[in-house]
Amino acid sequence: MSGQANSVIDKEIYKGRNFVTIFTKGDIFSKLSYIFCGLANIKNGQAVKGSIFLVLEILYLVFMKAKGLRLIADLMTLGTKTQSMVFNESVGIYETVQGDNSMLILLFGVVSVIVSAVFLAMWLFSIYSGERARARRELGKHVPGFIEDVRNLADKNIHFSFLTIPVIGLLTFTVTPLIYMILMAFTNYDSEHQPPGNLFDWVGLENFKTLLSSSDRLSATFWPVLGWTFIWGISATFSCYFGGMILAMIINSKGIKLKKFWRTIFVITYAIPGFISLRFVATMLGERGIFNVLLQKWGFTEGALPFLTNTMWARVSVIVVNFWIGVPVTMLMVSGILMNIPNELYESAKIDGAGPVTIFRKITFPYMLFVTTPYLIANLIGNFNNFNAIYFLTAGAPNSLDYFKGAGKTDLLVTWLYKLTRDSNDYNLASTIGIIIFVISAIFTLITFSRSGSMKNEEGFQ
Amino acid sequence: MKKTVIGLNLDHYVRALVGALILFVCILLPYASADGKTVSMLQALAARGNSYVDIILFGAVISAALSAVLGVVMFFKTTVGGVKLWQAVQAFSTAFFTLLLFSSKKILETAGLYGNFLNKNLGFGYWIGLIAAYFTLITVMRVTRTDRGYIILVILSVIWLFPVLWIVITSLRAEQGYYVGYFIPRGLTLKNYANLFSNQSVLPFGRWWLNTFIVAMCGCVFNTMIVLMTAFILSRTRFSGRKAFMNVLMIIGMFPGFMSLIAVYNILKGIGLNQSLLALIVVGAAGAAMGYHVTKGFFDTIPRALDEAAIIDGASRAQIFSKITLPLSKSIIVYIVLGGFLGAWSDYIFPSMLFGDKQSSYTVAVGLFWMTDFRRIDTYYTQFAAGAVLVALPIVILFVWLQRFYVEGLSGAVKG
Repeated sequence: MSGQANSVIDKEIYKGRNFVTIFTKGDIFSKLSYIFCGLANIKNGQAVKGSIFLVLEILYLVFMKAKGLRLIADLMTLGTKTQSMVFNESVGIYETVQGDNSMLILLFGVVSVIVSAVFLAMWLFSIYSGERARARRELGKHVPGFIEDVRNLADKNIHFSFLTIPVIGLLTFTVTPLIYMILMAFTNYDSEHQPPGNLFDWVGLENFKTLLSSSDRLSATFWPVLGWTFIWGISATFSCYFGGMILAMIINSKGIKLKKFWRTIFVITYAIPGFISLRFVATMLGERGIFNVLLQKWGFTEGALPFLTNTMWARVSVIVVNFWIGVPVTMLMVSGILMNIPNELYESAKIDGAGPVTIFRKITFPYMLFVTTPYLIANLIGNFNNFNAIYFLTAGAPNSLDYFKGAGKTDLLVTWLYKLTRDSNDYNLASTIGIIIFVISAIFTLITFSRSGSMKNEEGFQ
Repeated sequence: MKKTVIGLNLDHYVRALVGALILFVCILLPYASADGKTVSMLQALAARGNSYVDIILFGAVISAALSAVLGVVMFFKTTVGGVKLWQAVQAFSTAFFTLLLFSSKKILETAGLYGNFLNKNLGFGYWIGLIAAYFTLITVMRVTRTDRGYIILVILSVIWLFPVLWIVITSLRAEQGYYVGYFIPRGLTLKNYANLFSNQSVLPFGRWWLNTFIVAMCGCVFNTMIVLMTAFILSRTRFSGRKAFMNVLMIIGMFPGFMSLIAVYNILKGIGLNQSLLALIVVGAAGAAMGYHVTKGFFDTIPRALDEAAIIDGASRAQIFSKITLPLSKSIIVYIVLGGFLGAWSDYIFPSMLFGDKQSSYTVAVGLFWMTDFRRIDTYYTQFAAGAVLVALPIVILFVWLQRFYVEGLSGAVKG
């Protein structure tokens, strides 16, 4: 049986009933399978499949009865008992009595909610699966048995088998932690509310308010850091973009021999892991680093230049160093695209008497811009979140007394976020910043979507 | 002059000649002036002390003179070989004039002409000479129809390789410590490398290297498999919920990744995996599916007709994956493997959070970062450099070797 015919039958079957009408029009087994998963499957000749649904449901209910319900209920309060010292009369000393741990309550609560969501998905799936078995049987079609279903996992239903591991991985180590952290933005889990000693609680949108519009130091830190993040992102992206494009054009121009040799020279800096080159350049830029030594030895300056200690100097330094690292990447990428530009365009332009500048302005650049806009915007988002370049180079320094604890003049939102979690344990603020970064990225991604043909029309190539 | 020589573009000849003559005159113009004293290059050369950098001044004067002579001779008897020779001499002259920018201080101070010389005291003769040198080189290259891009490439290569050179030199330096007031080390040694692996060392660098290698190898295998499978499903099959799944992945990807690391850490603690290398591998593989984009873009370009023909011949989807898609995807597989391998070597945030102060589980990134803390940098600077070379070298070799695939993968991702 070919896949084509199968999907036609599937369409016919589903045309009939939807989630509600499966219940209202169904027989008693279909109705009951809303409560006892898999009953419709068992009745319609898929006993093993139905039983699996049923067992999973029982397992879920047992889990909810034993733990889950209480865990979800605790989410409302995030714990009520503070850890305290109680006098133990039998021993005659004060003892610490374990209170509630808000952090664990939140985490386990999120886990229970995720488990419930997974169960909900299975429940829906079992209802449709039962309906399909029923419809096939009533239409007089063959109902696939368990063995056949398993075999289909390598063929028609390959997406189930291939995506199982990635989905489990994402649910455990990406989605769950992410939801947990997003929720944290709505609590007061800061340095003064650290479990297990203290409880923290829901505070609604309080964090967003203080960060965005209060007159205190937090807000006075947030806006300048955001501003610098934008300046950094735009200058880092466009400097590397144009630098890389020009370099690629030079290397790819006809008169240059040993193209591979020149490309390799620049690729070396790209191939060295970022943390090494950045840490090393940071030491070179120090007050007694080699750059200052040589500048004085060569007679360019009399004293040391404050490459990383003065705000203006440091900001320019990070952009320049990022240029050093970023240009080879763009160069590599652009090289491929440059070769795709039809040569006739250049030849006819030359016949019309266009100089190299005109050719670049009228042919190369428009073509490149058209092809690389999605890349450019992805790169812009990447640079807003370019943790490595800033953290390994300056770690946000020079620090400023006007800023909220620890933040420095070259800190981006991401590095500030990292410092807030690592150094001062202000998780609520870190999460709030994370959500703001998400909003910024989302806006830019939406722009990409509306601009780029390849994302709108993904079938275009096939 | 209306002369023609095959292989030369003589329109620019006169300009090149004028440039060369100006350059020659500059030898006699003020080279440096400070403290009310002005000297030309020839005077500086006559007063030279005993320093190896004098070669640069010597070379600048000789090559400038030679270039002017060759320019005049070629004017009367133009040959391709002669102009090529002139171009080579002019290239040397330009290089020497540029190097003077970095060595004038030493030359003039050892000559005893000035006490404390700064480059702002260089005379107008030098600056005009520098400009004339570049101008002449460019115009001579126009005459010989050589691409002027070489000049930019040479200058950029020097700038780009300078930090790399400094890492290598530092790793071989015998004198310890962060600060040295010179570029070329007094003594060379391999002890920095040996110390990293010796038993007396407090730094278990060999262990770190091995840890990272294990994580990188496992990461390569698992991540590549997961990425390939996810991309295959999203590119080659259609099922309900596919678009939604892709959208969810995109939304997750827009949150800064390490925002949730603290929660990941707690989950790992819950399953008893904290502070172990296995945790790094598991977490890396768990998030690998997020990087499916490039691979999916690549798979999208494989013609659908191939799949359809295989289905008619009775192949299952799993067989299409292993027998058709994978064999056609060599370059993208190399791209993912290389990316995964590189990632493991440079990943810093998560391992540093995961291992805390448990030094024996550190990866090289965490370990090397630990060495560059300002309290330790004086003790470990040369060893840090040696470690950096040991980490970077295999990757650079791998990268240069497999460059082609990387370019194909990258440019495959952005077409259209």
